Amino acid sequence: MNFGNKLRCVKNRCFSGSSGLLSSNYHVTPCTPMLSQVPKKARVVICGGGVMGAAVAYHLAELGWGESTVLVEQGRCGGGTTWHLSGLVGVFKPTLTQVKLAKSSIQLYKSMEGKGLKTGWKECGSLCVARTRDRMTVYRRMKAQSVAWDIECSLVTPEEIKELCPLLEVSDLYGGLWIPGDGVGDPFQICLSLISSAKERGVSVIEDCSILQVFNSNGKVSGVETNQGYIECDYFVNCGGFWARKIGKMSEPFVKVPLHACEHYYLHTKQIPGLDPMTPVIRDQDGHIYFRENEGRLMAGGFEPVAKPAFEDGNIPETSEKRILPEDWDHFHVLLEQMLHRLPSLGDAVLERLCNGPEAFSPDCKWIVGEAPEIQNYFVAAGMKTIGISAAGGVGRATAELIVNGYSLYDMYEIDISRFLGLHNNRKFLRDRVREVPGLHYGLMYPFYEFHTGRNLRMSPIYPKLKESGAIFGQVMGYERPAWFEVNAQEAQRPTENKSLPFRIAHTNTFGKPDWFDYVAEEYSACREKIGLSDYSSFTKIDLWSKKTEVVDTLQYLCSNDVDIPIEGIIHTGMQNERGGYENDCSLARLAENHYMMIAPTIQQNRCKSWIQRHLPSDGSVVMTDITSMYTAICVMGPFTKQLLSELTDTDLSPSSFPFFTFKEIDVGLANGVRAMNLTHTGELGYVLYVPNEFALHVYSCLIEAGKKYELKHAGYYAMRALRVERFYAFWGQDLDTTTTPLECGRSWRVKFDKDIDFIGRKALLKQREEGVHRMYIQLLLQDHDHEIDLWPWGGEPIYRNGKQVGITTTTGYGFTFKKQICLGFVQNFDENGQLQPVTHDFTLSGDYEVDIAGLRYQAKVNIHSPNLPTQYPDKERGAYRATRDASA
Amino acid sequence: MAVRFKFKQLIADKCLKHCSLNGQEYNEHRLLGFIRCQFSIVPSSQFFHKTFTVCGSYRYFSSSSRQNALAKLTPQEVTNILRENEYTQEFNFPSSVKSYDSNQLASNNPIEDARTEARGLLTTGILLGVFDGHGGAACAQVTAKRLFDYITVCMLPPDLLNKYLESLETNQSLKLLEMYNDKIDLLADLKEKYLETFKKFVKELSEMKSNSLDFQMKEVMEKAFLRLDQDLSLEALEKTDGKIDIKTLSVAMSGAVACVAHIDGPHLHVASVGDCQCVLGVLSDVNTWTAKKLTKEHNTENVSEVNRILREHPLNERETVIKSDRLLGQLAPLRALGDFRYKWSKEIMNQVVKPVFGENAIAPNYYTPPYLTACPDVVHHRLTPRDKFLVIASDGLWDLVSPLQVVRLVGEHMSGKVTLNPFRLPRNNMTLSEINTMLLQRKEGLKRKPIDTNAATHLIRNALGGTEYGLDHGKLSQLLSMPDEVVRLFRDDITVTVIYFDSEYLRHCPV
Repeated sequence: MNFGNKLRCVKNRCFSGSSGLLSSNYHVTPCTPMLSQVPKKARVVICGGGVMGAAVAYHLAELGWGESTVLVEQGRCGGGTTWHLSGLVGVFKPTLTQVKLAKSSIQLYKSMEGKGLKTGWKECGSLCVARTRDRMTVYRRMKAQSVAWDIECSLVTPEEIKELCPLLEVSDLYGGLWIPGDGVGDPFQICLSLISSAKERGVSVIEDCSILQVFNSNGKVSGVETNQGYIECDYFVNCGGFWARKIGKMSEPFVKVPLHACEHYYLHTKQIPGLDPMTPVIRDQDGHIYFRENEGRLMAGGFEPVAKPAFEDGNIPETSEKRILPEDWDHFHVLLEQMLHRLPSLGDAVLERLCNGPEAFSPDCKWIVGEAPEIQNYFVAAGMKTIGISAAGGVGRATAELIVNGYSLYDMYEIDISRFLGLHNNRKFLRDRVREVPGLHYGLMYPFYEFHTGRNLRMSPIYPKLKESGAIFGQVMGYERPAWFEVNAQEAQRPTENKSLPFRIAHTNTFGKPDWFDYVAEEYSACREKIGLSDYSSFTKIDLWSKKTEVVDTLQYLCSNDVDIPIEGIIHTGMQNERGGYENDCSLARLAENHYMMIAPTIQQNRCKSWIQRHLPSDGSVVMTDITSMYTAICVMGPFTKQLLSELTDTDLSPSSFPFFTFKEIDVGLANGVRAMNLTHTGELGYVLYVPNEFALHVYSCLIEAGKKYELKHAGYYAMRALRVERFYAFWGQDLDTTTTPLECGRSWRVKFDKDIDFIGRKALLKQREEGVHRMYIQLLLQDHDHEIDLWPWGGEPIYRNGKQVGITTTTGYGFTFKKQICLGFVQNFDENGQLQPVTHDFTLSGDYEVDIAGLRYQAKVNIHSPNLPTQYPDKERGAYRATRDASA
Repeated sequence: MAVRFKFKQLIADKCLKHCSLNGQEYNEHRLLGFIRCQFSIVPSSQFFHKTFTVCGSYRYFSSSSRQNALAKLTPQEVTNILRENEYTQEFNFPSSVKSYDSNQLASNNPIEDARTEARGLLTTGILLGVFDGHGGAACAQVTAKRLFDYITVCMLPPDLLNKYLESLETNQSLKLLEMYNDKIDLLADLKEKYLETFKKFVKELSEMKSNSLDFQMKEVMEKAFLRLDQDLSLEALEKTDGKIDIKTLSVAMSGAVACVAHIDGPHLHVASVGDCQCVLGVLSDVNTWTAKKLTKEHNTENVSEVNRILREHPLNERETVIKSDRLLGQLAPLRALGDFRYKWSKEIMNQVVKPVFGENAIAPNYYTPPYLTACPDVVHHRLTPRDKFLVIASDGLWDLVSPLQVVRLVGEHMSGKVTLNPFRLPRNNMTLSEINTMLLQRKEGLKRKPIDTNAATHLIRNALGGTEYGLDHGKLSQLLSMPDEVVRLFRDDITVTVIYFDSEYLRHCPV
């Protein structure tokens, strides 16, 4: 208590959040008087009395934690108005997880209505219209997905659109998508209903209460200081909405909640006579706009392609009233013109008001949920990007489950807060990025979307050379990685020898055969038949060591494979959670008795560290260091790599001295200390060289120079993707997630049940081994697909077996060796009653498979093991390695 | 083509801009919705001798009848009026200042604003000043003429100072400054008088030895302002043949606010007395313009200034020392040069001022003078490559446009674009198509190119004629064709100086 008070003097800036329902406009008094005294102790403190905080409180109460939950709100809960909220509830989201969360929200509101709680829910359906062929393709793909995601929807013609909503101009439309189950709710009513229901079950709600500081001891939440006193607690939930980033800064260490506000507009008309109350929600994404009926008026808004950041200096207004900004009609005009175009009669409608209610967006346009990597038991649910009520129900439930059960049935890694690095929370980065983020919400999302702001942020030391060599870049975790190399363009565009090439950003502006196809084909063939060189520097690299062999015990506990391998050995292993799912998928090289180097996916940089950190011995005997930024990773792959490397090093590279799946610290050229691994991550023969940064350019130049006679080519990660998809290699974050077990993805051979440490997830995996798996990772080769003219699979396509939808693809790519489209994905086995049955080899191998691409089904041949790719240069030693296979193979 | 004010005789008129005299009381009110109202009195020709060189027939000078006076001007006539006093100076030597644009538009007749720009010949750096006179043009003109000399000698190192003093005494005066666009000349006898005073000052300086090699700009400015002010007083009270010189007394009875910038490499010092303003145009790293105000006006909105004055006078004057937002209920700026009606002791007022100007010249509740000081606030700013320009202007401009608007106007002008006022709905209950039509009109307006190449003219034109859709010729024409008697109700004298910085120079300039 004293501790808290002392700090208050230092940090007396008072803050708390709500998701910003407050406004000066009309004030509705909460239905019941609120508690005025803060309890001294609680299990959970929720910050923010907006709809998000209310939903978390509601679900905690549902799970029986009502009595030990406190919700604090800086102003009034839900406080007031709908002027700057749209109330749209749409179920179709870009990914299954988000769809599940949105569906859960709708279910909640319906059930609340059933219990007599007001939500303003109106199931008026929603109608998305397409102005372009590509947008129609998006809807066709959504329609195809809807079978797998269990969403009722139908494609409609312009004539049918006119019937569904006679107000619309349809002459320029290709068609649309009608989702009858969508609707609108009243965020304010929903918030109050959730709160009152939570209070009935014991949740304390304290208004006019601001969070001043969040405390932790030993990295775990221990309490919060508010302007009404200190509350000791075990869990803290930051539902600060618009203010979440600021609240994140009220702890030591800071919790990164990367959000930046930008102006956001809501147009309200006066009463429009004869307006059908059941007018569907209209989304004209090509015009960046939406409409809805709102008590006899129309409400319209949009997501302009170039947004206008608000509060750029980082000084977020302290109250909801100050959050409302004067309207910039010139900025809004882009949207107004589109609105008038789509809804011509809107021109005669009289303006009630245009509200500029700035909204906070995350740098990747996704929600931010989950446990903060910085502090245990600190949860965040924020960044709902104006569609708070679509998300609130589901995210609230998932967050409550995480708190009460330690896990949620929703796999949320793609929206998990641990996806961010420090750079993502940089204010200037956010300010630059937020200009293009809202536009994405309605943007036409082609495959492999790339941001155009916040680029050239993390670059490997050989980046300038790669750029000169024609690299077209993609960005992952702020890291610039070559997607492919346009060598011809390089020659054509280079006027003089000295002039450098401009920075170019990767693009795939089609759902069919992309422009980069031929470049990637060449890179692919170099990797398979000659030598390809790739920059793997973005990979997460972690050193783990201890004085004695504590590190071995720790890793044995964390990993499902047996990591007690000989020194210089390398092993692939998963790190499972209690349910057997992949928290991390990595390679471990044993540098010494007590020292390992871990290589993990780029996107795991923050996430896997926080997972490992939580399981390290508390005595500090095992040390973990992130060395990602210390080493440049250059991968050379292809049949001649051994010859190439032997020219540059004295180390004996023969199989007896430097066998496959081993590691050596070698000299390359004039450099030393290069950590060389005899493996690649895509199944080709080759080496990954982890070069100390200061040697990187030297080693790179040596490789390029010596590689000339082997016709060495640069290869980008689109080629890598093609290689690994064809070889049936699963990648974490794309194929594997926290709900996938090794047994489901052909990796049970990497699980060592018999090792003498009871590793995390062993119990669950043993049980699964007994009972059989309920989903299985397969590879599908499309048979009658013409890659020149047909639309390509890009992931997310439904898989049919014997005419019945059994799964969905994860990653896909063109197999340049098989000359076929390859799809990777998971299948399940439902019996006639819709009950899940174990998936056996017989089941997966026996059916007739089809993949549905935007409404067209293509025959497919199935594999459950990594295939052997024919090559002119077979390698006896390494040729037999297959990443995906069953235990017996 | 120019209306040139040649002062054969420099005498103040009786009109005191910020004061209420002759029992006339005017409340602040708004006319045409924009400008602060202050009354104007037709200058008294008895004291004032002027020559206008009027080319063409500007109807705005005619005051015969209102109908005539408000007659429309053609766009070309408007442009001619606006450009009459515009001036651009480029600097071709390596310097942080690339060039400056200046312009003036008179409202009072003659104009009560003055401006000076000069380059130091014995010192480094450039001096630019805007002076806004009240109670006549005399003080502003004299100050504009003399202040830079005072500032410059305060900067001279001892050896140069002695050399300069020597040259003064042998009448082969070394030139201190190179003046630009200097169109005003003082009367010969005044000139002589001023030179004598100045010599005295230089002599004192050289004896004081306080002029060392590393002077502090803040002290230099304060010393120069206060000394000049003191000299104005002494000159006014000096008797030749037992008689007060009415000319110097008139200078002392009028007043002036001033804002002077000294720019030397990356160092910008701004000294300000009164309510002129100086704003720096800064281009942020995301290419948006921000305005950095370098002055804080000395008026009743400046809380610390009000507190200062209240502190300096006894408690029983609390109600009278600042009244109706004015010093002693009369003077709007709370600091000024000249204006000795608020500085001199009661005895001097009774002995010297009353006989000439009458009882009313002494302000009511005049108990504990001085009430007014000429001490400037001096700020230092280290210029960065992001600082693109500096605008110094008299309140005639700031009455019409905000600092941010000014910076946006000049910033967009630099890139050849026009700027519109923010759009506000003109009325309630508009339909969306009506709004759309208006917004489309605005879009058209935004495509136009600025008419003026001189940024100061561009500012004046937009300040007077800017609307949400672009420039309104009707508004401009009306404001520029008003008769002398009323024009002061709608706009004050406007003086604008826009100084452009050399970003390349600033990028490479050593600390």
